[in-house]
Amino acid sequence: MPDKRFVIPRQDINREAFAASIPDFNRRSEIMKTDMGYKCSITNIVRLTEQEKLFQLHILESREREIFRFRPGQFLMLELPGYGEVPISISSSCSNHEFLELCIRKAGHVTSALFNVEKGAYVAVRGPFGSSFPMDEMSGNNILLIAGGLGMAPLRSPLSWINEHRERFENVDVLYGVKEPSQLLFTYQFDEWEMINHIRLHTIVEHGTAEWNSRTGMITDLFNDITINPATTYAIVCGPPVMFKVVCSYLDKLGIPMNRMFVSLERRMHCGMGKCCRCMVGSTFTCVDGPVFDYWSVMNLKEAI
Amino acid sequence: MRHQGFTFKKLKFASFEFTCCEGCQLQLANRESTLINFLELLDIRNFRELSSEQHNNFDIVFIEGCISRHDEVDRLIKIRRQATTLIAFGTCACFGGVNSMKNKFSIEEVVAEVYPDMVVETLPVKKISDVVTVDISIPGCPVSKEEVERIVVSLVTGSQVTLPKYPVCVECKAQLNTCLFELGEICLGPITRGGCNAVCTTGKTPCLGCRGPSEEINMPAFLELVNERKLNLEDLREKITFYNAFEGFINYEA
Amino acid sequence: MYLSTKGILAFVNELYSSKPTGKECDGMIYKVISKAEFKRFIDTLVLNNPSFGPRQVDSDIRGDAVYHFLPVTSFDDIAFDYTATASSAKHFFLPFREELSRFAFHGQDWNQHINYDTNPIVLIGLRPCDISALNILDDVLLNGHFPSPYYLGKRKNTFVIGMDHLPRPDCFCKSMNHHSVQTGFNLFCSDIGEEYYLSINSSKAFNFLKEFNTRDPHDEDNCRLVERRKLISNSFLSEVDVTALPSILDIEFDSPVWEKWGNKCLSCGTCAMVCPTCYCYSVEESFAIDLNGATRQKRLYSCNLVDFAVVAGGHNFRPKNGDRLKYRYYHQHRGFAENANQQICVGCNRCGRACLAGINPKDVINDLRMEKESCLTNVSLSPGRT
Repeated sequence: MPDKRFVIPRQDINREAFAASIPDFNRRSEIMKTDMGYKCSITNIVRLTEQEKLFQLHILESREREIFRFRPGQFLMLELPGYGEVPISISSSCSNHEFLELCIRKAGHVTSALFNVEKGAYVAVRGPFGSSFPMDEMSGNNILLIAGGLGMAPLRSPLSWINEHRERFENVDVLYGVKEPSQLLFTYQFDEWEMINHIRLHTIVEHGTAEWNSRTGMITDLFNDITINPATTYAIVCGPPVMFKVVCSYLDKLGIPMNRMFVSLERRMHCGMGKCCRCMVGSTFTCVDGPVFDYWSVMNLKEAI
Repeated sequence: MRHQGFTFKKLKFASFEFTCCEGCQLQLANRESTLINFLELLDIRNFRELSSEQHNNFDIVFIEGCISRHDEVDRLIKIRRQATTLIAFGTCACFGGVNSMKNKFSIEEVVAEVYPDMVVETLPVKKISDVVTVDISIPGCPVSKEEVERIVVSLVTGSQVTLPKYPVCVECKAQLNTCLFELGEICLGPITRGGCNAVCTTGKTPCLGCRGPSEEINMPAFLELVNERKLNLEDLREKITFYNAFEGFINYEA
Repeated sequence: MYLSTKGILAFVNELYSSKPTGKECDGMIYKVISKAEFKRFIDTLVLNNPSFGPRQVDSDIRGDAVYHFLPVTSFDDIAFDYTATASSAKHFFLPFREELSRFAFHGQDWNQHINYDTNPIVLIGLRPCDISALNILDDVLLNGHFPSPYYLGKRKNTFVIGMDHLPRPDCFCKSMNHHSVQTGFNLFCSDIGEEYYLSINSSKAFNFLKEFNTRDPHDEDNCRLVERRKLISNSFLSEVDVTALPSILDIEFDSPVWEKWGNKCLSCGTCAMVCPTCYCYSVEESFAIDLNGATRQKRLYSCNLVDFAVVAGGHNFRPKNGDRLKYRYYHQHRGFAENANQQICVGCNRCGRACLAGINPKDVINDLRMEKESCLTNVSLSPGRT
């Protein structure tokens, strides 16, 4: 028989109490949602291209819907039970409190399974995680959004913010390059962006087709089409690793200060909370310090781009 | 069975043995705690060890053993045509296995030694992928039933089938084993694919590499450490050729 | 000259550790216990709680004993004179495999079960560097932006008894300032001859000890403790110069030193597994075999393993052995932003001892320094950014 005087008392960790121990009151719901996500139903699935689908999610619990808020540029961990979790940037507007939109490319294990999911299925999201684009700081300036391929997905959220607050910005140019015309995302919104929101959209493809009647070439060729006033321009860049270097050094040469260029990096996060270290870039976590960085920080990070 | 809009169907399953000991197939009947659930996932169409049913179209086929006769080649090609997914099952199927020892001698010598005064038709040992296309490999001598379960579940649920990319050391350290090199033995753990939960080394038996090389192994560094410790190079040669799993790396040996 | 216990401890700490004597020290109570009574204390504790302590498991080819933290059921099971365990005590707090969540499916919906709870254990004989490692893990896993309840549960339910020891020839914890420890344990025992000098750092430990014969330390006990600490401090044979190491690591990011050591590296992950502070992990999810549920598991991973930095689509951000090895050193000796850029290496040299390829922090860091110094003397250009 154990002698009770010498038995170490068991101390259990209660979920609610643990979250409540966080000094910052505003972060308590965030802490609660770091391992048990918001359950969502998939309310719509739109096939955008051969490789990408747009998933529209609706958080089931109205109370949870009320507390879920994000900023443009942040990402989520999307959970498909049994298959696993995958980091996905949010593509929808942060003012849309009813639905979340995630543009997903069939690339890995979880996303391949997601492509077989039907409308009405349940998934869960943890987050939102990471840094965001400083939309307020950018206000009052010209905006240059540069997207390569799937890089359009994370840029759609800041673009929506710009569109919703269009009067706060001067000229907005979107440079968008893909390999083939069939890979262009959100083509159904191009007219809306151009006609209603007065966004100057410039698209370019590497390999044109017979029907393609716009520019052919690399994304940097688009710089010839626009005039940039470096003193009043903020740039947002997202695309494959090779693109960052080329585009950012070009913008650097034009004279846009490095701290006014923002990039969104991609790594394979496993936790989203700066613990698993899978997404380390230099000494920085893509998940908590990023994914949005200003170019100055990235320049100084080893292995970043 | 439905989950999240997915429909999980039983896999039409068959298992065949070629030149082998049938030990890997026997593993399929192991782990009784999950055996019923495991068999629920399979519609057994042809499996001598468990069922007398015989059909001839399959979603997945396990092939155990290596190929060492002409009639085995024909039989394997026929099975390949009937199967959607062909799985090389066990070390013999994946690499040739212990049977590959035969290839160190001439066919005449081998026959004279084993079947003196008999007419025997036999070939040098081939692994399954030398004869037909292999979709998935499950190495191990014998295979780990746990890994087989995981892979079958992945196939049923449409998840990606993966093998660990790291070497045995990772799991061996998690078992708090004393490194066998520290005990003066040559162990192939640092260059062998993990996933076996380091069963052999936990029992203080050096790894012989039955699961084949792990991803992007550093063979020169491994040989260097064997040399530096002045361990028996003959012992190393024997271990590395034991399952024929390091075929592509054998040149480093000199 | 008479010195109060507290005064002398502050003095000792100042002398032999650069760690600031934190507020935890103020709550500390000091006692002296005879070795016979200490045995009775340990026996009682071990009898009433699942306990783990150092035990010899093997003798290696050099004839040295190999120790591990294993279950113990009596005082005599414990090798109190052990040097260091081959693997650290990390896995009591960060298991090699840990279930994070369990899903039970019903229709398209599911229930998710999460359990942070764990049974209390006693961990006996941790070295100062091992306890420092726990303090570093506390910093990373509890004081960061997202504290880990899984870790907290285990940390709270582990009763840590520390013991000081004379260093092994390859220990370099003094260089890392982790050869003494002021906090992070329930009870710390210093061998002062016929008795143990106890630093009691928790009410639990204090309550247990009430039932045993202890006395307040005398002046000469304090002196013997100072002597003991002096002896330990002066017994270090290995020294690693870590001044300005973070910036050297930054500057030497493209150094050929990494390729040199990378070519030796087997990418086997052993170093990270035995390390007391390597905490990087991987999350895996799998269906239950009856397909009615799933589990999300965490497993300790190593940045040396080939697929650590692979992203969806297959691109590997660190394809070469040297890239990955460098990363481990970067994490260990430069530190990451999330834990205030502090170095997480405690200098136990477990990785160095366990590495089959002979890669050890002392040689790698010295190599980097040489590289740096030759750079300075030759005034050659630093390698370009790639």
